[in-house]
Amino acid sequence: MSTEIVNPNPGSSESTPETRASAITIHGFNAYYGDFQVLRDIDLEVPEKQVMAFIGPSGCGKSTMLRWINRMNDSIQNARAVGELCLINQNVLTAKTDVVELRRKVGMVFQTPNPFPKSIYENVAFGPRLHFKISKSSLDQLVEWSLRKAALWDEVKDRLNRSALQLSRGQQQRLCIARAIAVGPEVLLMDEPCSSLDPGSTSRIEDLIFELAAQFTIVIVTHNMQQASRCSNRTAFFYEGTIVEVGDTKQLFTRPKMKRTEAYVTGKFG
Amino acid sequence: MSNPMEMRERKGLTRIDRRGRREDIFSITCLLASGIAVVILVTLLSTIVARGAGSLNTQFLMGVHLENQPEMSGISQALVGSLVLLLICGAVALPIGIGTAVYLEEFSTSNRWLQRWRGLVQLNINNLAGIPSIVYGILGVTAFVYMFGMFKPIQVNQVPQFEVGANYFYQLKTLELPELDIPGQFVYFPASDPDLAFRTITEPIDVYDRQGLKLKLNVLDPDQPLPNVASQLTTSVMRGTVASRFVRFNRGHFHLPLGRSILAAGLTLALVILPVVIIVSQQAIRSVPDSLRDAALGLGATRWQMVYRTVLPTALPGIMTGAILSMSRAIGEAAPVIAVMGGVLATSRNLATMMDSSPSLPSTIYKWSLHHHIAYDRLAAAAIIVLLVTLLLMNLIAILIRHFYEKRLELL
Repeated sequence: MSTEIVNPNPGSSESTPETRASAITIHGFNAYYGDFQVLRDIDLEVPEKQVMAFIGPSGCGKSTMLRWINRMNDSIQNARAVGELCLINQNVLTAKTDVVELRRKVGMVFQTPNPFPKSIYENVAFGPRLHFKISKSSLDQLVEWSLRKAALWDEVKDRLNRSALQLSRGQQQRLCIARAIAVGPEVLLMDEPCSSLDPGSTSRIEDLIFELAAQFTIVIVTHNMQQASRCSNRTAFFYEGTIVEVGDTKQLFTRPKMKRTEAYVTGKFG
Repeated sequence: MSNPMEMRERKGLTRIDRRGRREDIFSITCLLASGIAVVILVTLLSTIVARGAGSLNTQFLMGVHLENQPEMSGISQALVGSLVLLLICGAVALPIGIGTAVYLEEFSTSNRWLQRWRGLVQLNINNLAGIPSIVYGILGVTAFVYMFGMFKPIQVNQVPQFEVGANYFYQLKTLELPELDIPGQFVYFPASDPDLAFRTITEPIDVYDRQGLKLKLNVLDPDQPLPNVASQLTTSVMRGTVASRFVRFNRGHFHLPLGRSILAAGLTLALVILPVVIIVSQQAIRSVPDSLRDAALGLGATRWQMVYRTVLPTALPGIMTGAILSMSRAIGEAAPVIAVMGGVLATSRNLATMMDSSPSLPSTIYKWSLHHHIAYDRLAAAAIIVLLVTLLLMNLIAILIRHFYEKRLELL
């Protein structure tokens, strides 16, 4: 079975209409938890200001890949990675990488909405306060800008000082997106951002992802293949720690090059 | 009566019936057990109230302990002493306890030796929480009162080895002439060597009077005639007059070792509650969901920023509740306080500095209930009422804080 799994050169997918600079370049990347190898020889380019979706069955390593991009795996005791993971031509896996600055540049939205038990305003202002000395008025503007970007402003503008925990889950997740973009990241990582939301909230977030792609590079991990096909430009299919296929989303879902990809996207396994 | 179930029960036929009966017996036993506890508690409380309520008046609250005058005695010094003990104890135990909890819970490490160190600390804390407080009392005596004998022990009429905030003077009285109604005055001069308790005046020296005015002290020989001018008389002494050492303490008076001081007792109480504070804070910190830590780290917070801005504020209600409950344990502790300060019932200096010893509520209750004068028994009961009310108030505050924060987190 494993003979089918090969690494296509990501640059070779001609179906991309325009050539964009790549925001993230991954080359010869291997990740481990202790002695267990989670990811093997990953080569991937994520183009700038587009949505890249990671799909694949559970345990295939796509979340691990995502969490290495902003080094969230640092807090896991025995996690380590070797290889090249470049964010705009700078390897982020080196010991001297400024993880704090990296995470400012690479925002993250998690699987379950995790607003701080503070007010809506304080949630959005949390990140800017960590990184910038900023006046009250420009912080107000920044909070409004972020909430507008996250399509939440109209719903919460009258209750910015109320607890974020009062919002619905869908609103909370959009608040988390607003919080992430408030620090001015270049890349947004989303780890199954809709998996705990109802269909209505999911579609709002998907619309939002599409709009945000105009300004940010977005990498989204999803279990939901419809979601990947709806809101991503490119898709990478992970299987057992390797990338089976990566390409233009439309092409990957309609004319997959690999048999295994076809089996997965048509729901035969996974 | 005609109910078939009831008929069967009377015969004791089915297993279900027997099971039901066993259940009944069990629940009645539990009810009795809880009833006994409540009855004992109510009896205790009513006895104490009956005995002590009569003595509860302003005289009791404002007065100090007077030997053999139970009707005039009171607990004002004990109240102040307990409050100060609580402040010292909280100021020391809370920062150290919360800091330790944060370290143990949040700062994981891959260093093998640091991991062992953490394991050792955790093991010790878990064991220390169960140690009787009198053991801490003994530890407090060794560690704070005598400081392992590193310094000369504090003794009456001796200057401690290390001391700040104490001004030593010699005091003497100038000549007087009672026949002419001219009183002598007390004059002072600073002690160059405080170790000497007395100094003999042989030479004229500069001294200060009560108002702090500098004046020249004349020394007269015994065969010299006394001056008959009052101003000259009251600035003169006979050669060989002995000045005695006199000490004035500043607010910040401090010496090592700490001796039987309220500071030593407060530090000992801090040791008593430290394990509890750590454990409670650890639990509160552990109950903060990891998703919040991820959120803060994902936004580029450093570990310290994550702890300070996310974990601690979220864990704060739990930490504060635990802190107040451990403080209410501290305020009721008699054994370590008596071990460190000795059961003083009254002080003459009203707790002017941290180096004074002072009565506290539990030690006063203990001493009074053992007093040979039987009337102090009622005062002890009254003091118990005061202590219980204080404890009740503290627990109430703990509940209110938790309630307030829960509300605030929900609604804001």
